[in-house]
Amino acid sequence: MQTDELIKRLVADLQPVRPLRSPSARALLWLALALSCVALVVRDKLMLLDPPQVAADARFMVEQGATLATGLAAAIAAFRSIIPGYDRRMLLLPLPPLGLWIASVGRGCAQDWAQLGADGLTLRPDWDCLLPAVLISIVPAVAMVAMLRKGWPPQPGVTLALGALAVASIANLGMQFAHVHDASIMVLAWHLGAAAVLSALGAWLGSQVLSSPHSPRLR
Amino acid sequence: MARNLAQEQRLTGLMRAAQAGDGTAYSELLRSLVPLLKDTVRQRFGFLQAQDLEDLAQEVLLSLHKARRTYDPARPFLPWLMAIARNRMADSARRYARRAAHEVACEQPPETFPAEDPNMPGSGYGDRGDAEALAHALTSLPRSQRRAIELTKLREMSLREAAAATGTSIGALKVSVHRGISALRKALRTSD
Repeated sequence: MQTDELIKRLVADLQPVRPLRSPSARALLWLALALSCVALVVRDKLMLLDPPQVAADARFMVEQGATLATGLAAAIAAFRSIIPGYDRRMLLLPLPPLGLWIASVGRGCAQDWAQLGADGLTLRPDWDCLLPAVLISIVPAVAMVAMLRKGWPPQPGVTLALGALAVASIANLGMQFAHVHDASIMVLAWHLGAAAVLSALGAWLGSQVLSSPHSPRLR
Repeated sequence: MARNLAQEQRLTGLMRAAQAGDGTAYSELLRSLVPLLKDTVRQRFGFLQAQDLEDLAQEVLLSLHKARRTYDPARPFLPWLMAIARNRMADSARRYARRAAHEVACEQPPETFPAEDPNMPGSGYGDRGDAEALAHALTSLPRSQRRAIELTKLREMSLREAAAATGTSIGALKVSVHRGISALRKALRTSD
């Protein structure tokens, strides 16, 4: 095809578009939606909590704060990664809160082991949590993919892995409020494990789920 | 310096208008970008032929079209465009390296058939007469079929890339290739 002909086709295909909001604004918008969904699913459990008691549990609060920060940072990084010319260092944004989250859970595991010995590190399946975890994740995940598809991801695997990390983090936040007294080893294996698996899946499926910039096509 | 600034401002204004749906501004923008993109591609891939340079510049234009929603009108236009161009050039370099890794340079093509005749220059396949017959058969194909075969078989583009270049769907392209090959086979058999 000659370039002139291509230009005519592109011009014929032109529709007005609204420029995307800033990645931070989009991340906050997504976070508000995701937290609303989480609150809706675990509202019964939230009602049973004693706020002063929960607030007094420093380790729990640090862990939850780190989880929330990981979700927000991963969402910002994901939305930045779909803008051409983004600063690649932004991809590392979720690492500090993620490190804090892992360290906090790891410290919990060490404390459980010191207090209870091997019993403190007993891992058991908790299938009752599966359905709420899926319910919590569906709307944030669909919203995340829809928002990411509006951009132009040069590395779709990285973008979707970050998006999946954001979704898994916020879902974990809700699940933690539903299971305040879970042993740290359970959080480490099931919650952080699920986040790792989801991120790996996102990296694997990125180019299929997000439209790749390597295959531009006229509508 | 002042000229560059003026050009940047002009392109930024055109892109903003294009985002609002102004076709005239969009056309002017794309036409202004073609020489700039060709220069950029030539600087990086000076060894490419003119047609390949043009193809790569077209790929950048297609990507710009697809990514136009991601341009922030408050920011300069050229850095955004060059990020897209760099990405497409890197993708093209990977494709080129992949292709080069599967090609072996040799002075004498190895025999491809156990029988002697087809490998002899001047007879059977590889004959100049065959090449002419094939070229003639290609020109007799409908334009869409000829284009489909040129892109997928002669230039070895993937179906996805060829579909993007022709502006058709992958399914329609597959049909064109299939019909084109059948017609070529029939035409070459008749010419025997």
